[in-house]
Amino acid sequence: MPGQMSFVQNFPCFSIILCMFIGIISSAFKEKIARWLNIIALVVNIVLSAAVLLYTVRTGESYVYVMGRFPAPWGNELRVGMLETGLALFFCVIMLFCLLGGRHKLVQEVEEGKQGLYYVLADLMLSSLLALIYTNDLFTAYVFVEINTISACGLIMIRQNGRTIEAAVRYMIMSLLGSGLFLVGICMLYDLTGHLLMSNIKIEIARIVAEGAYRPPLLVTIAIISVGLAIKSALFPFHAWLPDAYGYSTVSSAAILSSLVSKGYIFLLFKIIYRVIGFEVFHDSKIVDILFLFGLMGMVFGSLSAIKENDIRRMIAFSSVAQVGYIYMGIGMGTQAGMVASVFHVVSHVATKSLLFISAIGLTDVSGGSRKFIELTGSGYRNKCAGVAFSVGSLSMVGVPMFSGFVSKLLFSQAAVQNDGKMLPTLIVLGISTILNAIYFMKTVIRIYTPVEEGEYPTVEWWSNKIYASVLLCFVVLNILLGVCSQPIVDLIESGLNIFA
Amino acid sequence: MIYTMVFPILFPIIAGFFLLVMKEPENRKILTGMTGAALLISGGSIVYALLSVEGEAVILFHLTSALPIYLKPDKLGLLFAAVMTIVWVLAGFFSFSYMKPRHEEPRYSGREKGEKRFYGFYLMVFGILTGLNFAGNLITFYLFYELMTLLSMPLVIHTRSREAVMAALKYLFYSFSGAYMVLFGLYFLYRFGNTLTFTAGGVLDKNMVAGNESLLLVTAFFMIIGFGVKAGMFPLHAWLPTAHPVAPAPASALLSAVIVKGGVLGMIRVVYYMFGADFLRGTWVQKAWLTLTLVTVFMGSMLAYREKVLKKRLAYSTVSQVSYILFGLALLEPAALEGGILHVVFHAFIKCALFLIAGAVIHKTGRERADELTGIGKEMPVTMWCFVFLSLALTGIPPTSGFISKWYFILGALHSETGIFSWLGPVVLLVSALLTAGYLLPIAIKGFFPGEDYKYQDIEYHDIEYHDISYQDILYSEKSAGNGKKKFLAEEIPIVILTVLAVGLGIWPNPLIEYISGIVSFIL
Repeated sequence: MPGQMSFVQNFPCFSIILCMFIGIISSAFKEKIARWLNIIALVVNIVLSAAVLLYTVRTGESYVYVMGRFPAPWGNELRVGMLETGLALFFCVIMLFCLLGGRHKLVQEVEEGKQGLYYVLADLMLSSLLALIYTNDLFTAYVFVEINTISACGLIMIRQNGRTIEAAVRYMIMSLLGSGLFLVGICMLYDLTGHLLMSNIKIEIARIVAEGAYRPPLLVTIAIISVGLAIKSALFPFHAWLPDAYGYSTVSSAAILSSLVSKGYIFLLFKIIYRVIGFEVFHDSKIVDILFLFGLMGMVFGSLSAIKENDIRRMIAFSSVAQVGYIYMGIGMGTQAGMVASVFHVVSHVATKSLLFISAIGLTDVSGGSRKFIELTGSGYRNKCAGVAFSVGSLSMVGVPMFSGFVSKLLFSQAAVQNDGKMLPTLIVLGISTILNAIYFMKTVIRIYTPVEEGEYPTVEWWSNKIYASVLLCFVVLNILLGVCSQPIVDLIESGLNIFA
Repeated sequence: MIYTMVFPILFPIIAGFFLLVMKEPENRKILTGMTGAALLISGGSIVYALLSVEGEAVILFHLTSALPIYLKPDKLGLLFAAVMTIVWVLAGFFSFSYMKPRHEEPRYSGREKGEKRFYGFYLMVFGILTGLNFAGNLITFYLFYELMTLLSMPLVIHTRSREAVMAALKYLFYSFSGAYMVLFGLYFLYRFGNTLTFTAGGVLDKNMVAGNESLLLVTAFFMIIGFGVKAGMFPLHAWLPTAHPVAPAPASALLSAVIVKGGVLGMIRVVYYMFGADFLRGTWVQKAWLTLTLVTVFMGSMLAYREKVLKKRLAYSTVSQVSYILFGLALLEPAALEGGILHVVFHAFIKCALFLIAGAVIHKTGRERADELTGIGKEMPVTMWCFVFLSLALTGIPPTSGFISKWYFILGALHSETGIFSWLGPVVLLVSALLTAGYLLPIAIKGFFPGEDYKYQDIEYHDIEYHDISYQDILYSEKSAGNGKKKFLAEEIPIVILTVLAVGLGIWPNPLIEYISGIVSFIL
């Protein structure tokens, strides 16, 4: 009822539009103003999302926001619950940290006059992420998927050198393949059900399944959409675009891409599972098992590639493949507990991976800009702040208690022991992956703390770059908080998932 | 009460952390003074805790709502804490002398920096171990267990040589694999048990277990193997002889005497407090476990017998001796369990002292191989006399302490109804005792009776070339004889105290035996 609508309910729509507009306006301004506008957009978004989060937690249920008051099935809708606002808040915070933490590198690496453009792209990226999180309409989702792809390409390519252009082209091709598949999937769904709004599709699909009609097309649709989104989020066999894109772009881009962009697509997949296809239908299709298998393979092969890597940035990038594998494994378990674990791992991986990328740049900076391990020897002493932060990130990745990674492993395993069929493969692969993670992360930590002859590279004081150091501090605190008091977040995720469908 | 329990855990960790981030003090004495004070304060606070906290419990925080981080020291934990404290403080004071740079020459200046780091981690591991002993449930135990692995790794890696780095990595990977196996079991206990709190007799829910016995047995086996990594049990023992000897002598003493006991404590907790002895008695798990321990006992002694480098020999000896303890545990029988816990105490003192002796010898003469120790008795008489007593104790010759624990092992084995193991066990233990005598006593004999051809002077020069220490270095230490004498006295005192404990507990074992009987009758 429009009259009873609380003002807070408008905020999600505001924040999406605000980001778009700030992006458009910034392109007319100078770099400095664009940067400040970007920060303002992020802070305002954080405040708005926090307000909506409070509101949804208080009411305990999700609400549908009808854009322009055109009622379903014609109008466009946003749907907002705790999970959506929680993630939106979290993504905004992380994006702010990533941009602040990589700012000094941006100034060095991106040519003068194009830095303003960077913030335009970041604003667009943020608005598309928020839209993906909030939208209740499949076609809107598709539009923002494309906006997301284009701004991601820009973020990769803005540091102009051969590798990034190649990486961006590669990303573009793979990504377009993914969104193409997604589009085909949407078309087929539209064909099957005659709707584009998620809730309506779900009702129709429930009817179709009950009648037993259109089984093969439905299965194909589910498969196509899953694969499309899997390509975009770099699930194992489709991850070839990832290492270059994360490895060579400027550090803020790498952090944003690895932690946020792929998670946006994963969240869209969650949404499609719960809200479009229906959890039961999705579970009954065999696609779940395939995602599970790919997830497990990703966990092992991603880590193996990371072990072979001799370049710290690419190593962290390959570790993302393994971590995305964890998330898909959780989805593939096909249980509520598995989903909770997956969502928590999204949160935990976002916090950890961006920390790793941002701290790695501090280490390479004091090693003459080289990312090869041999040059990084002893860099933990030269930039103590980055060294400590990198170690914390590594410990979290390995899954040492007190850090966020441990809690997500715990949740995955708890989900696994309740699922008799997939219990053993999950636990065994979790074990293998833990050890592989330990191999390459601890190897790196030991490497950066191995002393070398002094004087070769400059030493940086703890607080020499205050913004960078405080960003790292925030990340470290965030990781430990997630590891120590995870229960409120897990509760939030559970109740969010309950009202998600 | 919370402070009594939390202080001995947090204080060393904070003190150690402070040492790590602190600026290098100009005078080395400030550093050792601070570390010594921190050690004494932590030791004192543990003694105070021992007297006052038994049966108390405190929840620190919740990891997730069902998994509290929870401290509840019981008698067993307090015993372990007492032993670890004695060893930790004594080895700490030994290290002040051992780590001292020999000169003020520039090329040694790097070593001082390492010294600060060493003490920092040394203190932090101390706090973690106290937490491990005080842990009241499995998840708390696991938390401290992982932290123990991580923070003791810098002690292994201390010299930063390539060998040390590789050993540390090996240590980490073995430990992480083991820890994951433990975690694997933890998930199942979480599902099939009533609680993760340590409860004498086990926590398994009878109704839930029905029909899933074989799954839980596999889980139990995994957990035993997992903790067996730390305790150096075959088949995942290979890290131990690599990692223990590369650490500086005080650190190897602690790794061998104390850190391995973390694995033993973990097994006691899992077998007697989580699964319950009744659940495992007579199953294939018990048989497999007994087999593994006996294999390890024999193999460790054999490898120690063949090994020439003293510290490596001692590390192999640890492999073998800790499996004596595990054999005692695996019999699931009161007397054997009592022997196991007794041997935890005795082996901690004996092995710590032996490693410190090896360190003192290296520090004074630079000799590392057992066959180079010929004639050492005249140079280091007090130390070598201690070595004699300790060798006898480890072999198990009355009236030293090792005899008592072995007596209980054999008693337990003969009483237990484990078929072939009830006689095979004692046989293996006796053979291993012979080997123990074989790898330790000749060093003492050669040390005091080098034979008539032996010329005491010759060896000195040989060593100087062998270890690439310039002749001036030796001269320097000879000249500052007053200083040198004090230094070696500081190394001898901890060794003598530990030897007195190792022998004395064999002569007057009754209070200890009674205390442990209390524990055993409570859990079995």
